[in-house]
Amino acid sequence: MATMVSSAGGLLAMLNESHPLLKLHALSNLNALVDNFWPEISTSVPIIESLYEDEEFDQRQLAALLVSKVFYYLGELNDSLSYALGAGPLFDVSEDSDYVHTLLAKAIDEYANLKSKAAESSDEAAKVDPRLEAIVERMLDKCIMDGRYQQAIGMALECRRLDKLEEAITRSDNVHATLSYCINISHSFVNLREYRHEVLRLLVKVFQKLPSPDYLSICQCLMFLDEPESVASILEKLLRSESKDEALLAFQIAFDLVENEHQAFLLNVRDRLSKPKSQPSEAVQPVSAVPDTDQQGNATASEDAQMTDGSGNVHEADPIEATYAERLIKIKGILSGETSIQLTLQFLYSHNKSDLLILKTIKQSVEMRNSVCHSATIYANAVMHAGTTVDTFLRENLDWLSRATNWAKFSATAGLGVIHRGHLQQGRSLMAPYLPQSGAGSGGGSPYSEGGALYALGLIHANHGEGIKQFLRDSLRNANVEVIQHGACLGLGLAALGTADEDIYDDIKNVLYTDSAVAGEAAGISMGLLMVGTASEKAGEMLAYAHETQHEKIIRGLALGIALTVYGREEEADTLIEQMTRDQDPILRYGGMYALALAYSGTANNKAIRQLLHFAVSDVSDDVRRTAVLALGFVLYSEPEQTPRIVSLLSESYNPHVRYGAALAVGISCAGTGLSEAISLLEPLTSDVVDFVRQGALIAMAMVMVQISEASDSRVGAFRRQLEKIILDKHEDTMSKMGAILASGILDAGGRNVTIKLLSKTKHDKITAVVGLAVFSQFWYWYPLIYFISLSFSPTAFIGLNYDLKVPSFEFLSHAKPSLFEYPRPTTVPTTTSAVKLPTAVLSTSARAKARASKKEADQKATAEKSSGVESSPVTSHAGKGKLSGDKDGDSMQVDSPTEKKTEPEPSFEILTNPARVVPAQEKFIKFLEESRYVPVKLAPSGFVLLKDLRPSEPEVLSLTDAPSSNASNAGGSATTQQGSASSAMAVDEEPQPPQPFEYSA
Amino acid sequence: MDPKLTEVSQLFERFKAALVRNDYDTCTKLLSQLKVLLTEFKSLPPLFEETPNAIHELTIARDIYEHAVVLSVKIEDQDAFERDFFQLKPYYTDAGGHLPQSPQEYPILGLNLLRLLVQNRIAEFHTELELLSATALENPCIKHAVELEQSFMEGAYNRVLSARQTVPHETYVYFMDLLAKTVRDEIAGCSEKAYDSLSIKDARQMLLYSSDQELSEYIKEEHPEWETKNGFVIFQRAKESAPCKEIPSLQLINQTLSYARELERIV
Repeated sequence: MATMVSSAGGLLAMLNESHPLLKLHALSNLNALVDNFWPEISTSVPIIESLYEDEEFDQRQLAALLVSKVFYYLGELNDSLSYALGAGPLFDVSEDSDYVHTLLAKAIDEYANLKSKAAESSDEAAKVDPRLEAIVERMLDKCIMDGRYQQAIGMALECRRLDKLEEAITRSDNVHATLSYCINISHSFVNLREYRHEVLRLLVKVFQKLPSPDYLSICQCLMFLDEPESVASILEKLLRSESKDEALLAFQIAFDLVENEHQAFLLNVRDRLSKPKSQPSEAVQPVSAVPDTDQQGNATASEDAQMTDGSGNVHEADPIEATYAERLIKIKGILSGETSIQLTLQFLYSHNKSDLLILKTIKQSVEMRNSVCHSATIYANAVMHAGTTVDTFLRENLDWLSRATNWAKFSATAGLGVIHRGHLQQGRSLMAPYLPQSGAGSGGGSPYSEGGALYALGLIHANHGEGIKQFLRDSLRNANVEVIQHGACLGLGLAALGTADEDIYDDIKNVLYTDSAVAGEAAGISMGLLMVGTASEKAGEMLAYAHETQHEKIIRGLALGIALTVYGREEEADTLIEQMTRDQDPILRYGGMYALALAYSGTANNKAIRQLLHFAVSDVSDDVRRTAVLALGFVLYSEPEQTPRIVSLLSESYNPHVRYGAALAVGISCAGTGLSEAISLLEPLTSDVVDFVRQGALIAMAMVMVQISEASDSRVGAFRRQLEKIILDKHEDTMSKMGAILASGILDAGGRNVTIKLLSKTKHDKITAVVGLAVFSQFWYWYPLIYFISLSFSPTAFIGLNYDLKVPSFEFLSHAKPSLFEYPRPTTVPTTTSAVKLPTAVLSTSARAKARASKKEADQKATAEKSSGVESSPVTSHAGKGKLSGDKDGDSMQVDSPTEKKTEPEPSFEILTNPARVVPAQEKFIKFLEESRYVPVKLAPSGFVLLKDLRPSEPEVLSLTDAPSSNASNAGGSATTQQGSASSAMAVDEEPQPPQPFEYSA
Repeated sequence: MDPKLTEVSQLFERFKAALVRNDYDTCTKLLSQLKVLLTEFKSLPPLFEETPNAIHELTIARDIYEHAVVLSVKIEDQDAFERDFFQLKPYYTDAGGHLPQSPQEYPILGLNLLRLLVQNRIAEFHTELELLSATALENPCIKHAVELEQSFMEGAYNRVLSARQTVPHETYVYFMDLLAKTVRDEIAGCSEKAYDSLSIKDARQMLLYSSDQELSEYIKEEHPEWETKNGFVIFQRAKESAPCKEIPSLQLINQTLSYARELERIV
């Protein structure tokens, strides 16, 4: 007869009965019915509550449970939770109902909240309700029991229960996977730096307990914890082992560490590796590529080790020491960054695909007298060829170049530094003609080119300034012209990035105290660069001087410098940020925005975002507002998908400064991602009514679209055409024209082989890149700072290395259509001339091919003529060579000529040869072939990867980036077009030939 | 027969006997025992399990609660009445389909209506009324209560008072007495608002008392703040509510300013 009660009134009435049994009966029935009758029961809650509070009543817990449920239905989760706690064991954690789920979530939240509060105030966690703790623990145990380790880990992390975290990890089925999961979430979800360190320390502990430790991950963690000793000891252990594989692993670790660009840490690790104990060490020491300038302190320590060891086992097998010594040289080379820089340089040089025609078009369309566009073209050229060492364009246009005077000359010279970035060995000789002559001080060169050259040296040696520091210091001391001081300060800051060298700091401080506006500005920035991320008290000193000085330029430089010092310090920086953001001076507030951006860079910290948004809409100064919005880009770059959403409203602001900031914020955080939302947000801004907003949007768009091919997003092509249109348009404003020129430079940056990346593959911040972009965003005030963007470029390459750190020929698969990731087609004919010469050759592919061929020939001729006596253009010759090799291995895959493309369907995969360009979007398609001779030590789709040789007996074929290596027998013969002397020089150096210096001073 | 059921029936017989004897203490005690025993039966609300004796058990439980209601009226305990009535109600509403209708149903429902009227809970009164069927409304017991409510609402207080003579059931007397008091309170409340003072005669008429004596007693008990002077009853008018509040000017200024600032910030 399925009768249902229609009301809980009767039971509620029964609660008022005096007999306890009746009350119990009512309570238990109500508890069963509460899901349906909570609205009725809610009116009687006071009665039930009084039952719970009645000490005499023996079913208080049942009453509590009932009240808790009613409150849950009423949405009063706090009350509900406190009564659920009162219900004690009656509250069943394993029950599968909405009520229990919700309350559990609530309980865990509450508990996590209490725990983190307790941790913050450093009180003992005595205040936490033991009942609450019991519930959470019950939940955690249940998760672990049920094998839901990820949940357990998440909860344990949230609740700061490291003991439970450890338990969850060690008890999981796949400890390695769980650990890497754990590392991931501790980076992305643990907001407090201190706590994250605790977690990482725990992880390292767990890692080390494992039978087969994952050294790659351990070292990453240790780097975060800044513990060079442990890393060094691990590396040493691996290096000393018999097996080659372990040594390979050590190299791989070293490469991975280098990728994070933490110069001070790397140097520390390098210096801590103990020296080999036998003879080879002496032989080896001088060869060691890096001059050990600051190894004094360590030398004694290693000597001690040497003595004790030497006395102990005299007859230790020499071969072991010898191999160790040999490996040590290699790893030191890697750790100092030289190996990777050199390989990168080779890669960028050999794969350079920059399109000189674009530059030519720009050059022709830019009005001669317009110096802004003139220097913008120089900037674009530098960025386009960043790190490739290809300066053909400059050479071809010496006349045109000589129009650059004063500061334009400064930046033109500095541009060479960008082009030759990473050319550590020859950097100085390259720049020699422009450098201030020693002694005389005022030699023949203008101070502008001398200052620029010093700046260029800094750019070449950015973050790897061991070798050049001393020279730059001397130059700084000898300089008395403020322009040279300016260049020297910037250069020194770049070279000594993050080393916190006291002596250098003092030198720069002396420059600052001369109170000259131009030099002081650079000094301020330079101090920041030097002290990046140290949070030293120097910031106070700088702040004090910023208040003292009258020069806005100096204040601005210092403001940025102060911001740089707190890079990545998160909460530690809060006092300083507070101090700066409350300052009277808008320039310091502006610095405060940068401080917020850098201290919380890549954390997506809610507090920081909130503060920035607040300033973005409330500050009185446009500069501060613009910067606040821009800073959002830095805070959010770890979650690029978020940024367009957050700034979308701001991008429609009435205030052009805010719009500009929004554009750059998107540009910074979504750089290189080609994110569709980002492009959609920027698109309307590129045709904004205000010229500088257009400029910002164009630059930002280029940053977002760098290395995105037209095949994956058609808007890339449209954007390229838009840029061309703006550049060719006579009536366009200078500002946006400059933006378009820069944008075309950034879009094809580094010979189309680099992208802008602020995070390394292991999700660590790349300090150089972030700092580079932060200073770059200052170009609003000072154009030469544009070059800082080159710091954020990272090559998109897969470079496989064998045990000798050479590049063996090795093939792997990219499981995607080649057209998705191919280089953009070179522009065929400059549109200006096409209108005249080839009016009919519109869409015929054959005509286009012909035009291209003839163009190339013409180019070749032109270069040969122009630079007679100098080596002929390497670009063209190598382009040809690249094609040859492409044809050789790609008879089935590589569809090169456009005519074939029409007929054959596009293959769905592509074989890439080591070293290869692998753009970020392509990474997920990379597969390693199974029957291949080499096996990667770490399954990474890009970057430097050590390869294990499975057939070591066979002779290795070294596929060379470009310059033939010494043991590959003058294979340079293929480059017959080059002059004999040049090719032989290259064979020795394994480096592209340094171009001959040229003078352009008018 | 189920031993438990027999026990209940026996206890119930004793209860009824006590009720007839007007031995209310025993009644309350027995009733409490009965109720505890009833919780053992699964067939009763709210579970309504289908046990073999379900009908019988339901019937006897209903009977017990009906008597409980009557008892509560007799001992003049409104809370107990309410409690028992609510426990009884499911037997009418939910189990009604399975049981023969109880002769006591309408008188008890009527009593409940009357109680709501007495307690001046008009909204609930109407809710209850809505739940009743058309036939129920025809029943004299219910009708009585409905008419009373109508007169009450119209302000025909004299009709309310005279209705005491025409009660359909002896248990109603208790509530009718209470109702008279409710009515007087109502009148007193209105007069207080409407007049500054009234002559004793008018007041007596107004409050439907037959003698001045009753009136002065009523005043003494219920409204000690009224004064009787010179043949007049003087009501202490409630203090005028404070004059119109001050304009919150500062707050308004602040608000306007913040609006202006927000407008500025709109992006």
